[in-house]
Amino acid sequence: MFRDAPRSRLVLALLVTAAVALIVLDSRAGGGPVTDTGRRAGELVFAPASSAVSAAAGPVTDLYDGLRAGPAAADRIEELERDNAELRERLRAAELDEERAQQLDELLHLSGRGGYEIVAAQAVTRVTSHGYGRTVTLDAGSDSGITADMTVVNGQGLVGRVVEVGKRTSTVMLATDVASAVGVRLEGTRKIGVAKGGSVPGGPDADLTLELFDLETPVEDGDRLVTLGSHDGAPFVPGVPVGTVEAVQMSPGALSRLARIAPVVDFAALDVVGVVVSGPAEDPRDSVLPSQPDPEEDR
Amino acid sequence: MRTAATLFIVALAILVQATVVNRIPFAWGTGPDLVVAALAAVALTASPAVSAGSGFAAGLAMDLMPPAEHAVGRYALVLCVVFYLVALLRTNTGAPGAVGGRPSAWTGIGAALAASLGVSAAYAAVGLVVGDPRLSLGALAVAAGTGAVLTTLAAPLATLPLLWIRTAFTEDEFATVQGPTRLGGW
Repeated sequence: MFRDAPRSRLVLALLVTAAVALIVLDSRAGGGPVTDTGRRAGELVFAPASSAVSAAAGPVTDLYDGLRAGPAAADRIEELERDNAELRERLRAAELDEERAQQLDELLHLSGRGGYEIVAAQAVTRVTSHGYGRTVTLDAGSDSGITADMTVVNGQGLVGRVVEVGKRTSTVMLATDVASAVGVRLEGTRKIGVAKGGSVPGGPDADLTLELFDLETPVEDGDRLVTLGSHDGAPFVPGVPVGTVEAVQMSPGALSRLARIAPVVDFAALDVVGVVVSGPAEDPRDSVLPSQPDPEEDR
Repeated sequence: MRTAATLFIVALAILVQATVVNRIPFAWGTGPDLVVAALAAVALTASPAVSAGSGFAAGLAMDLMPPAEHAVGRYALVLCVVFYLVALLRTNTGAPGAVGGRPSAWTGIGAALAASLGVSAAYAAVGLVVGDPRLSLGALAVAAGTGAVLTTLAAPLATLPLLWIRTAFTEDEFATVQGPTRLGGW
């Protein structure tokens, strides 16, 4: 059943060896010159094509939204006259621009409160071809001053960190990626822990899981988290809102306390984000968090 | 002509996959794989060595496109091995297309489905070897299942046109050949 010419087998063996060699070269810390050159070449093709698609995507995005909104929306669209549809299209485009402007505004507010220096960018891909990694591609790269291990935020809070940079694009690993771990601090008590993407073994089913090292730490539902900050601000600058504690898990005998976190960022609707190119001079602590609406109501 | 058309369609599939399909926010996290669908047509009409080579080239191109979330060479390795096996099975089992007959449209769609499942499994297997922390059985089942269904749905758009072009031009080449013809080849 698996008979084949020796020459054909030799070709397969050569190709497999080449692929394995590439994987090994690229997996080394710091990356290899060969794969980096290759990625630059790939980006050279990707960046213009992607910006062309971005320009053309407006109507297509609207169509996709319409399809997702279900049959009710489809019926309504059928009823509308052609010129009506065109006018609505224009209105939606204007709303989209307004929304982007508002997102940029919020981003500026957040960076102003924390004293971060940011570069604005737009997320241009949202899924990967095999769906394991939670990563997005941004339409800004080293030309805009972005380097690897920079914090990415949007108007609400922490989005993730930059893992790979090209000249005009960069790859961001979202905070909800299973490989992601963010050092966090509880608002108020200043106790530290780690926010891990996905669920951890033995923990609750969640997008983000908080692991607290101190078993005695008082933590309650509704407590808010900000980033702890890393050495020299890479990969995470301090003080960025991460999420709200949603459910604390009591497991006797565990070495750490686990809790489910509701992220402040809506990862399904990621659009305009900011890459923090330079962190604040001093830790902004809790000042970036929006003021609590009514603290008494939580009790 | 056959080679040029194949190169063009596969390159187009790669570009559309990277810039359009990966942009759509699928709620379940994975979309159709147009590259696998297009290469299934190549594997049904070329020798195992050629199909392994085209799998390697297309996979490498996908590896180099952003987002850079896995090591370069991972997808190349997977596509190369999977499409080698598809072509090998086709030439050795006497399936339609082995003895100069035309592979039917259903064979093309079936090959796309089988290749998609194979690619998902092999991609996960490579992830297991290099220690990918995102891998779990549940995530694999969801990604492989939805990926296979969506790729099969995309097959009429990517697999069938390429299959049709490749078989149509083979016929022209063979029309002038006298006597027994050699199997396989470009």
